[in-house]
Amino acid sequence: MVNDSADFGVDTLLDVRNVKIHYPIHGGVFLRRIGEVKAVDGVSFTVKPGETLGLVGESGCGKTTMGKGVIRLVDVTDGEILFRRKNGDVVDLVGLERQAMRPVRAEIQMIFQDPYSSLNPRWSVGDIIAEPLSVHSPDMKRAERDEQVAWLLEKVGLTGEQADRYPHEFSGGQRQRVGIARALATRPRMVIADEPVSALDVSIQAQVVNLMQDLQEEFGLTYLFIAHDLSIVEHISHRIAVMYLGNIVEIGPARTLYEEPVHPYTRALLSAVPLPDPSLERPERMVLKGEVPSPLAKPSGCPFRTRCPLAEPSCAEEMPVLQAVAMDHEVACPIVLRKG
Amino acid sequence: MSRDDRQKLLELRDLRTYFDVEGRTAKAVDGVSFDIYTNEVFGLVGESGSGKSVTSLSIMRLIPNPPGRIESGEIRFRGQNLLDLSFAEMRKIRGNDISMIFQEPMTALNPVFTIGYQLREGIRYHSKCSKAEAEDRATEMLDLVGIPDPRRRLKDYPHQFSGGMRQRAMIAMALSMEPGLLIADEPTTALDVTIQAQILELMLKVREKTGDASILLITHDLAVVAETCDRVAVMYGGKIQEISEVKALFKTPLHPYTQGLLSSLPRPDKQKKTRLDTIPGIVPSIMSMPPGCKFAARCPIAEPRCERDEPELREITPGRFCRCHLVDGKGGGRAW
Repeated sequence: MVNDSADFGVDTLLDVRNVKIHYPIHGGVFLRRIGEVKAVDGVSFTVKPGETLGLVGESGCGKTTMGKGVIRLVDVTDGEILFRRKNGDVVDLVGLERQAMRPVRAEIQMIFQDPYSSLNPRWSVGDIIAEPLSVHSPDMKRAERDEQVAWLLEKVGLTGEQADRYPHEFSGGQRQRVGIARALATRPRMVIADEPVSALDVSIQAQVVNLMQDLQEEFGLTYLFIAHDLSIVEHISHRIAVMYLGNIVEIGPARTLYEEPVHPYTRALLSAVPLPDPSLERPERMVLKGEVPSPLAKPSGCPFRTRCPLAEPSCAEEMPVLQAVAMDHEVACPIVLRKG
Repeated sequence: MSRDDRQKLLELRDLRTYFDVEGRTAKAVDGVSFDIYTNEVFGLVGESGSGKSVTSLSIMRLIPNPPGRIESGEIRFRGQNLLDLSFAEMRKIRGNDISMIFQEPMTALNPVFTIGYQLREGIRYHSKCSKAEAEDRATEMLDLVGIPDPRRRLKDYPHQFSGGMRQRAMIAMALSMEPGLLIADEPTTALDVTIQAQILELMLKVREKTGDASILLITHDLAVVAETCDRVAVMYGGKIQEISEVKALFKTPLHPYTQGLLSSLPRPDKQKKTRLDTIPGIVPSIMSMPPGCKFAARCPIAEPRCERDEPELREITPGRFCRCHLVDGKGGGRAW
């Protein structure tokens, strides 16, 4: 329990407050600390129960690190991550000891990008799905566990008989289904999905996306959906947060963000997405100059200013904060807000 | 200009490339035919295992043997069958006339030589010019692909370049000999969308500058095809299933597989569907292809004959080819 949970909304499941995740860099003869990568540099957002928050951005923007931070697969340097447990308690995941974190992990599970490397090749699929059960419910009888595994396999569109098979006998899409079954084994409230469909073939992606939506409806799951494919994220998410170099630059309802993006980076990102329709008259593409700067040498002030078509000298001075432009829609760019 | 007035640059005729795996034969490419005209961007689209990359490696004659071999067929480039050439003759074609860029520019560049060395090496191998001339040409190429301060960056090693810059350097290398055909195998798959937009724009810009060069773009991403290609071939199970002008393909896809692919894509520009359409089942393994239509097992409108008889690739309307018993150009074969 935390003391300052007073302002933690009843309709909030996860409240990430000003989280920073910095990795030290060691170098020199004595491997002294010579710098740090600010992978996540002051990120705040909330997720409501039953909703999908999409987290998008280009490689190196910190979206995966942020996701891992939520279940403490990486150490959080600063900030708070408040989570409402099944029993109603609100815990700050950042301060939790290993032992105390363990039961929380049953309630927050993760699905990984690569279905080829995230399943142990020497274990049968049944063992893989049963492992979280044996960790979190050690008293469960063997027969009951087998029953659970068969039930989970059927929930994700496989069959109970396939429990004895090994990962190499499954296709990429089926393996991702196994990964989803494993994540659901402990009946989590929240699932962090890190690029769950980007390694899959086009015709299989839609199957997995539909499955995730069905399961969300059936079990009331909450998703943090991390991906770089904006079309998929727009399809599955209720709200979307756009990250750039460790910060959220814009957050809002998926449809609004797609139709009326405000931040220059969101606009550029969306205009770069190719559309599967050659007859479409598309608006002038905003091709950004240059590339994302290294997070080791993050620009001062607004991190996007080195590529931004609207940048002004004042952008170098201060890191812009998220400001509301409409209901539920926030943007971190004082220039756009001033110009209207 | 109608299609027939244009010159054919590359003609593939019934190409078959097989691999011997554990005593069995995997027919990775099984009777592929298509033409690429001069100054066109031709897309070859398919999912993993469809045979699209093996097709491109066959054109370059880069199939590792064993286990792979080009079983039969013709690959005519400017009228000459590449399969008749000796290795030495083929080496002259590669780089000079046909060059290739790959998906992962880090593995395609040698990490222990500078970018400049690798660019100059190719230029000098193929054109026998002096070192200074090669240096100038290399600088010019890096400048063309939009790398700032090119003369200084020639001294950099590949790891000092970012992913997008490495792909630019690869394109510079591939274009330094002004090839007639550039084969780009998933050139932007490893890149972020904003960098992908830069690279695709660059490839099209370079085509304009080089005059009559053609591009064979291999990709799994239909949206990339929509934005860059003039014509496209859809591959599935080692065979071409459909060939069409790009606009016509996206407007009225003929083959049930193409229809399914297009309708399974989320379309943020359109009214939101609550559920995506899906193609049921999985891609068949090339080790055990069904005898009839390769897509029959997943096709919602398949008939008994589809599982039995392999359909021919037929010209349905002028310039549009489709491999399906049920498609007749009058609305037959609507699956999705």
